[in-house]
Amino acid sequence: MTDLSTTTRSTPTGPVLEIAGDLDFHTAPRAREVLFGLTPGPGQLLVVDLTGLTFCDSTGITVLVAARNHALGHRAQIALAGVPGTVARTFDITGLTQIFATHPTAQDAIDRWSARTDG
Amino acid sequence: MTVKAGGEEPYARGPAPEGDEAARFSAMLEDNVVDLYENAPCGYLSTLMDGQIAKVNATLLGWLGYRREELVGRKRFADLLTVGGRLYHETHFAPLLGMQGEIGGIALELRAADGTRLPVLVTSTVKTGDDGRPLLIRTTLFDARDRRAYETELLRTRREAEEARLEADRARLAAEEAHQVVEAERARLHRLATTLQRTLLPPSLTAPTGLEVAAYYHIASADEVGGDFYDLFPLDGGTWGLFLGDVCGKGAAAAAVTSLVRYTLRAAAVYDPAPAAVLANLNTVLTREYHGTDPRFCTVLFGLLTPDTEDPRGGFRLTLASGGHPPAILLGADGSARYLPTPDGQLIGVIPDAHIATTTVCLRPGDTVLLHTDGLTEARTLPLGGPVGDGDGRYGDDALLALATSLAPTTAPAAVTALQELLDTLGAGVDDDTALLALSVPHPTPETEQ
Repeated sequence: MTDLSTTTRSTPTGPVLEIAGDLDFHTAPRAREVLFGLTPGPGQLLVVDLTGLTFCDSTGITVLVAARNHALGHRAQIALAGVPGTVARTFDITGLTQIFATHPTAQDAIDRWSARTDG
Repeated sequence: MTVKAGGEEPYARGPAPEGDEAARFSAMLEDNVVDLYENAPCGYLSTLMDGQIAKVNATLLGWLGYRREELVGRKRFADLLTVGGRLYHETHFAPLLGMQGEIGGIALELRAADGTRLPVLVTSTVKTGDDGRPLLIRTTLFDARDRRAYETELLRTRREAEEARLEADRARLAAEEAHQVVEAERARLHRLATTLQRTLLPPSLTAPTGLEVAAYYHIASADEVGGDFYDLFPLDGGTWGLFLGDVCGKGAAAAAVTSLVRYTLRAAAVYDPAPAAVLANLNTVLTREYHGTDPRFCTVLFGLLTPDTEDPRGGFRLTLASGGHPPAILLGADGSARYLPTPDGQLIGVIPDAHIATTTVCLRPGDTVLLHTDGLTEARTLPLGGPVGDGDGRYGDDALLALATSLAPTTAPAAVTALQELLDTLGAGVDDDTALLALSVPHPTPETEQ
């Protein structure tokens, strides 16, 4: 079983949360704890970078939906970055790819967001 | 102390010792009869036969607080008694004494000069003359205050013991009642848990005529209630509703959502059985009920079965709506197997206007349709001991489709049995609960063809 690791960093456009490893029933509580510690400002973008994600089950999806509600609650937006092929199918089936803006990398997400707000 | 000579003779004296020695001996023996009479540790009283007091000793005078001259020749024995004592004396004591010549150990109460009561034990004898005629009554009275106090104490302790016993009885009864309440509560909880379990899963599915049905629920953990669910139930006009899904999360909170989802789906299907409408209603209910940092949502397939009366081969039309759920698999009569894709369907309960995708398939004799939850495809394949699955250590959709192809053509019971065996083989690799629901149209038998 792959463990879960999280790292967070701040950017001018908002916080970036990197989730790596397995996001499931066992690791979801820790991911939620880190997530709720982030406070994106109004009009900012919360980026959840999933490049290192190896597995995501239904409980893991709960965390992502909670992240979305958390961002919206702060009048911020959310984007997913680097959704790996192994979980892309799950995201397709559950329709998550329509609920979330997705980008190849976190930097792409930030660049697109900056370009949009600058424009 | 001087004693006036009454009508009674003094006690006879024994032979008198002589001198000082004799006086000391006498004092030691207390054989001064007059002193012994007057200051005896009990009361003495002599009355005439009509009860008039003739002689009384100092001890009794002291107890009663009377002077001798107030009693002798002036009062009768009965006058010294309380009202109750007088009554008893008149009705029992005196008649018995008259008949028997003696009476003893009778408890009476005297009333002293100051009105206080003095409990005594009374013994009386009748002295007769030489001719046998009764002359007077001799009465001895013992102070019964201690005895009365003892009796009162006995009564009190008996009352206390009785009260303690009653209290113990009450406590025992209360304990028994409490025990009964606990037992009843336990039985009630058990019934409740059983009922709740029944509401989460149907105990057995009733199949529509012309359809075979099989279902299986695999529990991954006895500690955590999973959120998978399924049902099959009749609707109007020979149509049937069915659903299978997975509430995200585990435990009691997920079970509560599962219950809500099940009842909402059944009620919504009665209201408007169109599968997309049923899931739209469920989405509205869930998004209003759960939001914020503890989102509760589900993936679900809802199907509407309509008997196909137009095609001579018979069978059913099945319309499936998907809310972000893994697609059903059709195991065809021709030996093929394929997913029934419902692309772009979204999780139910996350956003207000979730997109719901539908697909329709015709089930002909020999066709089987299988609905499952992702507990199966997300199971770890390590127990299989080989490179099974999609290469990421999970069983996966491709492996499931390959298995389905190997099974087809099949029947609902056979397909569910095969997957049940697979789940058993995967064992601890199955992290999450898994629900399976299969429907198949049997080939017509010679009887049904006629």
